[in-house]
Amino acid sequence: MNKPESAGMYASAEKIYPREIGGRFDKLSKLATTILLGLFYAAPWLLWDGRQAFLFDLPARKFHLLGLTLWPQDFPYLALLLIIAALSLFFFTALAGRLWCGFACPQTVWTEAFIWMEQFTEGTRSQRMKLDKAPWSITKFRKKASKQFLWITFSMWTGFTFVGYFTPVRELGIDILELSVGGSTLFWGLFYGFATYGNAGYMREQVCKYMCPYARFQSAMFDKDTLIISYDEKRGEPRGSRKRSVDPKEAGLGDCIDCQLCVQVCPTGIDIREGLQYECIACAACIDACDSIMDKMNYPRGLVRYTTEHSLKNETTRVLRPRMFVYATLLLILVSGLVIAMTSRTPVILDVIRDRNSLYREIADNFVENIYTLKIINQSNDARSFVVTVSGLENVVLDGVDGEVRVDGGGVLSLPVRVRARRDDAYGVNEILFSVVATDDSSVVMAEDSRFIGPMR
Amino acid sequence: MIDEEYRGAKQWSRDKQAVFTVIWISFLSAAVATMIFFAVFDPVELGGMLDEDLNFSRDAGYAAGFFFFWVLCALCAGVTAFLVRTAPKRDAKHRPK
Repeated sequence: MNKPESAGMYASAEKIYPREIGGRFDKLSKLATTILLGLFYAAPWLLWDGRQAFLFDLPARKFHLLGLTLWPQDFPYLALLLIIAALSLFFFTALAGRLWCGFACPQTVWTEAFIWMEQFTEGTRSQRMKLDKAPWSITKFRKKASKQFLWITFSMWTGFTFVGYFTPVRELGIDILELSVGGSTLFWGLFYGFATYGNAGYMREQVCKYMCPYARFQSAMFDKDTLIISYDEKRGEPRGSRKRSVDPKEAGLGDCIDCQLCVQVCPTGIDIREGLQYECIACAACIDACDSIMDKMNYPRGLVRYTTEHSLKNETTRVLRPRMFVYATLLLILVSGLVIAMTSRTPVILDVIRDRNSLYREIADNFVENIYTLKIINQSNDARSFVVTVSGLENVVLDGVDGEVRVDGGGVLSLPVRVRARRDDAYGVNEILFSVVATDDSSVVMAEDSRFIGPMR
Repeated sequence: MIDEEYRGAKQWSRDKQAVFTVIWISFLSAAVATMIFFAVFDPVELGGMLDEDLNFSRDAGYAAGFFFFWVLCALCAGVTAFLVRTAPKRDAKHRPK
């Protein structure tokens, strides 16, 4: 029995010491981890047109994505994007099982990175177990301290990279070097850093088992044609240890030598030979483990392998099945909807706010006047001039705008205007229409209606 | 031996599962709520509506909003989890056979 070292997190649970195993899928997983973490840490430093390429500028309420600037008014695009992401997850789950969990989920990816640091400082699985059992000594302290140093440094770097998506990262970098990081930045950096440290250092696959909703409902996307990792029971049983020289058929044994290696490498601590279990995150470590043993025994590989329920029963696996078409069609519709919406998006927004304090004002020569505030938002990155017009009433006149108005790139112009109409044309409530057109591009146009109120007849 | 070690590794206590699940799921819900809420409302304008002398930065507004949603969602999820887990079990002997 091992005394858990981190009493807080593992008060009633045994600690899992995943054993490291080389192999095809281990290489794939290391590659995925390196690429994904590389993207995460590098992306905020990229520049686009001299500006940070990915900056979610919350204080200014603007999101910069490469050349695109998104405003709060563009929120539906973000919602659509999230729906597309969820649907893609369903699609790939139905097709290839828990690929996401095993190779791409941030929980998996950061856990992997933290395990590398653990191996680097504390050694292999058996060395780690021995170290935890051993009484405190200078060596133990040195190993534990250097692991903590690596973990904490990496966590802090992660936290401030995260903040770097929301605040200009170059200035943030200078602030960090000068130790002059301000309040909210410091808070969120530490918050996210601590979350990384706890999740990847201590909670690990417990998060997948107990806290992840996707892990619980992904089985709804599974069918008998979904790619799963499975032990070939027919081939493996009856399991049992034997000498390499023994012919399993003569000894009445299956191919499983019951070496327990697949159990030792499992990060969630399950035995894949007991069948498909929801704890399995499809990391494929057991495949690597089993293949290495099969190679040593001179048995064919694949006692534990990627397969489908149909193919385990010697039936044919169908990749193209109704479920896939439904997911694919929905995805196609949503993606093309997003693309069309994004490309036809006009980079100007007009809001019309009617003055609440007065209904109307009668002025000389039988004219009536209403007051409005126009908000013109120029969503493009360059300054633009606009022509403002009003229509909907006979002889309606717009006062307060001299010819064109100029709005800075990414700027908002608040424009108080007066609209006048002849009293005889404007009894009661009338619909009027404001519109703005860019002077340099007549396709950049936006219209917004409002009400013009005159005296009762 | 090795077997025993791993069987033991599976369990978090029920209470711990509940606490961490509540924290995590309410975190996710609060993130979504914050995103939708502040896409529509600007915290600075909102603060101005409540009290004209109220001065705070947008950042602080977002943070306050997020933690407000988190606490609210955690309360909701926590009470639900508590009620579900402590509900009296329908006694098996009263059930029709």
